[in-house]
Amino acid sequence: MEREAFLARVRAALVDLPAPPLPEALPPTFASGDGRLFERFAEELAAAGGEARRLPSFALADAVAELAAGARTAVVTPDLGPFLGRVEDGLRRAGCRVLEPTRAAAARAELGITGAALGVAATGSVLLRAGPDAPRAASLLPPTHVAVLPEERLVPGFEGLFAALPDLARGASQAVLVTGPSRTADIERTLVRGVHGPLRLVVAVVAP
Amino acid sequence: MNRGSFAAAGTGGPVGRTFEARARALLARPEVRRNLAAAMDRSAVLRQRAFEGVDLGALRAAGEAIRAHTVARLDRHLARWAERAEARGTRVFFAADAGEAVAYVLEVARRRGVRLAVKGKSMISEEVGLNRALEEAGVEVVETDLGEHIQQLAGEPPAHITVPAVHRSRAEVRDLFARAYRAELPDEDPAHLTRFAREVLRERFLAADLGITGVNFAVAETGSIVIVTNEGNGRMCSSLPPVHVALMGMERVVPSFRELAVLLPLLTGSATGQRVTTYVNVVNGPRGPEEPDGPEELHVVVLDNGRSRILRTRYRSILHCIRCGACLNVCPVFRQVGGLAYGSPYGGPIGAVLAPLLEGFDRAGDLPWASSLCGACTEVCPVRIPLHEHLVALRADVARARAAGLERRAFRWWARAWASPGSYGLLARLARFAQRPFVRAGRIPRAPFPLSRWTRGRDLPPVARRTFRERWRRGGVKGGA
Repeated sequence: MEREAFLARVRAALVDLPAPPLPEALPPTFASGDGRLFERFAEELAAAGGEARRLPSFALADAVAELAAGARTAVVTPDLGPFLGRVEDGLRRAGCRVLEPTRAAAARAELGITGAALGVAATGSVLLRAGPDAPRAASLLPPTHVAVLPEERLVPGFEGLFAALPDLARGASQAVLVTGPSRTADIERTLVRGVHGPLRLVVAVVAP
Repeated sequence: MNRGSFAAAGTGGPVGRTFEARARALLARPEVRRNLAAAMDRSAVLRQRAFEGVDLGALRAAGEAIRAHTVARLDRHLARWAERAEARGTRVFFAADAGEAVAYVLEVARRRGVRLAVKGKSMISEEVGLNRALEEAGVEVVETDLGEHIQQLAGEPPAHITVPAVHRSRAEVRDLFARAYRAELPDEDPAHLTRFAREVLRERFLAADLGITGVNFAVAETGSIVIVTNEGNGRMCSSLPPVHVALMGMERVVPSFRELAVLLPLLTGSATGQRVTTYVNVVNGPRGPEEPDGPEELHVVVLDNGRSRILRTRYRSILHCIRCGACLNVCPVFRQVGGLAYGSPYGGPIGAVLAPLLEGFDRAGDLPWASSLCGACTEVCPVRIPLHEHLVALRADVARARAAGLERRAFRWWARAWASPGSYGLLARLARFAQRPFVRAGRIPRAPFPLSRWTRGRDLPPVARRTFRERWRRGGVKGGA
C-alpha cells in the first residue's frame, strides 16, 4: 500500500480523538543507589552469569593472557583503541593466534575481544556498537567474549544509558546492550546459559 | 482487505473449529496441564522479583500514558519513524494486510535468490502466515528461537508469546530432536539439549541468505528498531545474513528513547522476570559502506491488517499491548489449556480480545468466553489495559451479532416476566413443579433442552421448596444479624 494512503487510513481512524500528553516526568527504573559503580556492576553482571574484573591498564596484558590460556585463536576489533596493543600482547604471550575480525575468522575463533561504548552499573550491562572498527561477529560468534570498558564509561542506571542512546543510534548502524552470556529458559522454564550467543562473557573494566 | 489470514498461519496443532473443541483435545494431554502450571507459577515469582525496589504502580501508570499518547497520535509518530529510518537506508514497506506483507517478503526473497531463511521470534509472521508462503516458494525456513524451533519440529505453532514450547516436557523435546536430526540423545537435561540446538543451528545461521525477525519497539526519534532476546538469535538474524527483514505491527512505535526507558523494563520484567534481557538490539540501519559485516539490506514491513479498524472502536487500548505475555501466565483458563487452544497466534486474555477483532467473529468469536472474568489479566498488565472489561464488551458484541431473532425475543419476554413481582412468583412456582423429575440429590445434573446446554458443564441448583419471598410473607425470616 502507498505510505500516504496507509497513514491517511490511520489518521482517519484517529480524527477528533484527544491525545493524552506524554508524561513530563518519568518514574525512575533501575538506579545504582550509592556511588560504588564498579562493585554494583560486578555484582549485577555476576547475577546475570557474567564476570567483571577491575584492573589498571598496565595489567590488561596479563589479564588477557590468563583468559586466553589454552585458546588457540582469537579475533580482536580495532575499537579497542589504546588497549589494542596490550590485548594483542596478552594473546601472544598465551600462545594464541590473533586473527583479523572477519566473519569466517570469528566463526572459528575461541575468543573475541572488543571495546565497549558504555557500562550500566544497575544492571551489569555493556553497550556495544557496530561500526567500521567494530564488526558484529567478533562479539557474537566466539564462545567467549571479552569486552574492555574504560571505567569512566560506567553510568549508574538506565537514565544515563537512555540519554546516550539517541546519539549512539545516530552514529552506528547497530548498538546492542549485552547483559551476561546468552541464555534461555525455553525447556521447562529451566535456565540454561549459552545458547546462540557467547557462552561466557568477561568485562574488563580498566581503571583510569 | 484480506481477513482471516491466520488460517494459513497455524500448521498442525490441535484440530477443531472452536475453542471448546481444541481445549478438549489439549485437556486430554495431562502433561500439558502439568507443564503449564509449573511454568506459569515460576513466571509469576520471577516477575515479582524483577520489580523489587521499583515503584511498579508509577511505572505502569507511565507506561499506560505513553502507550495511550502514542496510539492516539500513531499516524504522526509512524510517519516520523519511517522518514528517519529511510534517511538511514532502511527500506520501509507499509502493508495494508497479510497478503501485501507476504508478497513483499516473497519479492525480496526472489530478487535476492534466497534459499535459506533463519527466523527470530515474530508474532507478525505467524499472523500473516509467512513461513508457509516462503516454503511454497522454495525457501527453507528455520525457526531459531529454541522454543519456536521445538514447535517447528513438532509441526505446531508457538503456544505462548514468550515461551513457545512451554507446554512440553524435556523428554518430549529430546525425542523431537532425536527424530528430526537422527541423533542419539541419551540425556534429556535442558543444558544438553540447548547445546545440541546451538550446534545444529549455528551452521544454519552462517549459511542463511535471509534473516527474519520481529520488532519490539520502533523508535521514532532515530528511525531505529529494537529487538529484545535472550538467546542471541535475534542478533544473529539481524547481523549475519546479507538481508534482514523485520516485521512489525503498526502500533509498535515509541516516540523516543526517553519513553523506551519505561517500556523496556515493563516488557522484560513482565515477560521473563528480568530487569533487562541478555540482548537489547538497537538496529539503526543496514551496514555502512566501511563496515566489515552486517546486512547489506534492511527492510521493515509495517502491518495494519485490521488494526486501523480497531482504532475506531472502544477496544482501541488493546493496541497499547507490548506483547509481554504476563496476562497469559496468570490466566486460570490459559493455565489449563495453553496457547494452542486459542487457534490464533495470540492466546490468553490478550488473544481472546485481539483475535476476534483481527480475524472476525466467525473465526474467533468464541474466544471472549475463554475467560473466567477474574480480572487477573488486567491486574498484571504492565500498561494497564482493561482486558476483562474488553472481554465482557466483546461478549456483548459477539452475542448481538449472533443472536437469532427467536433467542432475542425469548430473552425480552424473560426480562419482562422478571420485572414484575407477580409474574416472577408465578414463574418460581411453575419451575418448582416442572423441575421435579430432574432433581437428583438436591441438584439438577441434567436439565431438558435448552437448559441442557447449561448443565452439560455444571449442575443447576433447583428452585427452593419455599422461596425467600414466601418465607418472608409467612414470617419465617428472622430479622437482625
